[in-house]
Amino acid sequence: MTYEFNDRMTAQRILLRVINKRAWPEEDLLGLSSKAIERWVAANRIDSKSPLVNLVSDASSKLFFLANKSQDQISEQYQMVKAELIELCGDIEHELDTLGQPVP
Amino acid sequence: MHIYAFGSVCRGDIDSSSDIDLLAIVNGFDHRFDPQLYSIYSRRRIGEIWAEGNPFAWHLSIESRLIFSSDGSDILSSMGQPNRYTACRQDCEKFRNLFLEAQSSIREDGRTMTFDLSTTFLAIRNFATCFSLGRLETPVFSRNAALLLSERSLPISAAAYSVFERARILCTRGYGPGVSKDEAHMAMGFLSTIEKWMNGLLLEICRDDI
Repeated sequence: MTYEFNDRMTAQRILLRVINKRAWPEEDLLGLSSKAIERWVAANRIDSKSPLVNLVSDASSKLFFLANKSQDQISEQYQMVKAELIELCGDIEHELDTLGQPVP
Repeated sequence: MHIYAFGSVCRGDIDSSSDIDLLAIVNGFDHRFDPQLYSIYSRRRIGEIWAEGNPFAWHLSIESRLIFSSDGSDILSSMGQPNRYTACRQDCEKFRNLFLEAQSSIREDGRTMTFDLSTTFLAIRNFATCFSLGRLETPVFSRNAALLLSERSLPISAAAYSVFERARILCTRGYGPGVSKDEAHMAMGFLSTIEKWMNGLLLEICRDDI
């Protein structure tokens, strides 16, 4: 069973809400494509090697993995990636808590 | 391994915001293909979507060009036409649901405003394509499908449409000027028009089904 299209969009929305809880100085994260992440990192001058960026990029990779139709026969792997995505959402929330609010 | 181009580049329907859609047909996992650059399908899955009469199969069947084939064969051409498309109603309902979720999200939480405008664009485009494939003589696969349905085209202003489209480009390709609150507010003024448009076309589909 593949992760359905609408479910992937909902998962993206949930992740974006978590990340954009923080008041980013220049621009919120607009999407979870690698290009959108690059834009957010550059606009807000975030360290591209920071744990937060790594976690967000990891979540992005997992979402795109779920859209990949070459592997839909490996349902166990799909379930695992879905579970990892939920876990990553918690990790991102935790990482944001440790960062606190940026200085305006 | 087979690589195809499809979409706007094959229609010659390009502008400065067009990207190149690529399909990779592979056997099993192939780490060389970035899923953000390619739609990656197994041969088995391609066979399944052809049998389902899936809209993406029709899109590939009508608008794709072989770029590389590791064995000299052209898989997609050799498959002929996909089966008849029979899921028009279900698919249009799916994309209306996607739109409704974006609509309620945008009204309740501003943190995903651009993403929700982008999702609205995606829902509009896919809804229009599925409608055209299921109900019209000629299917429309253009990103502007909703504006190319003659008398059934989406009745919103060009300015509002361009805000939805710009949001989509921002969320996927990460470029372009950000959407301001005023622009978002102006585009949101058309959400009920979009809902009515979808409901009207769905009613037409349901009537035809009876």
